[in-house]
Amino acid sequence: MLELWFDYRELWWSGLVTTASLTVLAIFFGFLLALPIGFARSKSKGILGWLALGYTNLFRGMPLLVLLFLVYYGVGQFNRELRAIGLWWFFRDAWYCGLLALVLNTAAYQAEIIRGSLDTISTSIQETNQALNLTRWTAFRRVLLPIAFAKALPAIGNEFILLLKATSLLAIITVFDLMGQARYIFSETFDLKVYYVAAVQYLLLVLAIEWGLRRLEARIKWMA
Amino acid sequence: MGEIMSSTDIAIKFETLNKHYGSYHALVDINLEVARGEKIVVCGPSGSGKSTLIRCVNGLEPHQSGKLTVDGILLDDSKTAVRDIRDHVGMCFQHFNLFPHLSVLDNCTLSPICTHKIPKAEAEATAMEFLTKVRMDQHAHKYPSQLSGGQQQRVAIARSLCMKPDIMLFDEPTSALDPESISEVLDVMSDLAKGGMTMMCVTHEMGFARKVADRIVFMDAGEIVEIADPESFFTNPQHQRSRKFLDQVINH
Repeated sequence: MLELWFDYRELWWSGLVTTASLTVLAIFFGFLLALPIGFARSKSKGILGWLALGYTNLFRGMPLLVLLFLVYYGVGQFNRELRAIGLWWFFRDAWYCGLLALVLNTAAYQAEIIRGSLDTISTSIQETNQALNLTRWTAFRRVLLPIAFAKALPAIGNEFILLLKATSLLAIITVFDLMGQARYIFSETFDLKVYYVAAVQYLLLVLAIEWGLRRLEARIKWMA
Repeated sequence: MGEIMSSTDIAIKFETLNKHYGSYHALVDINLEVARGEKIVVCGPSGSGKSTLIRCVNGLEPHQSGKLTVDGILLDDSKTAVRDIRDHVGMCFQHFNLFPHLSVLDNCTLSPICTHKIPKAEAEATAMEFLTKVRMDQHAHKYPSQLSGGQQQRVAIARSLCMKPDIMLFDEPTSALDPESISEVLDVMSDLAKGGMTMMCVTHEMGFARKVADRIVFMDAGEIVEIADPESFFTNPQHQRSRKFLDQVINH
């Protein structure tokens, strides 16, 4: 099994880098998108709250694979229009399309996690913000967000790990991530042990995420 | 005497104030003037509206009718009025409500730095001064979860004082504390009272009320039943409801 890894180490390495970078970028952009959506879900009873609910329902209600096909093959149907507005470079590339689908998908899940933890912050903390005359922006950025993030960390960590493994679906739309490389190497060797090699590398990435999460959790001992 | 005082001598003025929660009438025709530097203790059975009364003062609870004037500012629906009033009014809560993710010092400096745009060094110097006053300067770099309840409440008092308020509100500040912690918090509050702060305290600590209060406001069922100086309230309550309450508090 080791030689299966060694003989194709450059392909494996590039697959590993692709998987890791897609995961990190999807987590990052997904979190940025999830913040306002989660906040709207928690605090807005008006149109913004409904829009945020619509977003989470739409993207949690759709299998990631379906979303991938819709973004990569579906949006690709409009290549003339996309060329006209200068977006074709983005939508003709499986890597970009895959990243977009991952971001849209994980943002829906992360938004719900953020909503949940914002909702559990006691009203007394919010009364304190008012009594101390904090502006809404300061209260959000310096009080609600750090507390919500600390509360959300276990659930958000779970989502990161699920997201990492979901990136393997991108192999189907021709992205050469770990799974994509595994499929290619299998087509050369017809040795099913290839998938063990891939599984071990996914495991290593999951362990790396868990290590990072533990470091973060150690920094929020004050949650006790 | 209330009529003679000029408006600047009055810190808080309730005029036939009413508050409803849906169909529940929480505060009924409240009339009360609190003079500058005066210490008011609000007492009464639970559910009588004591907390609601003081929470109206800094706009945590909106009222539906009547007038409320704090530090000469009429509390109306405008956003600026309530913000202006909160600049003058500090508040301490039953459960302290310190920010768990900030150190003691950062708890004290957050609002001065972010809301009042005071330079960090100056805000920290002020905070250390008030932390020393409440004897918590040794713990400035700890987190709230590392402190006892009494220590947390003293930090919460220092945090309010860092906003340089004219009026302090205390909403059952010792109800969640063990007996030793109660006395350390009450000591800090007594010092504050001696320093001339205008105070409104909701508390069940009748010893403190007797020692520190200028007047006792007794409430029941959303109404102010009796307002008296502590001596006459404790020795010769005028109303049957006050007598019943005092019997219950003192017999146990």
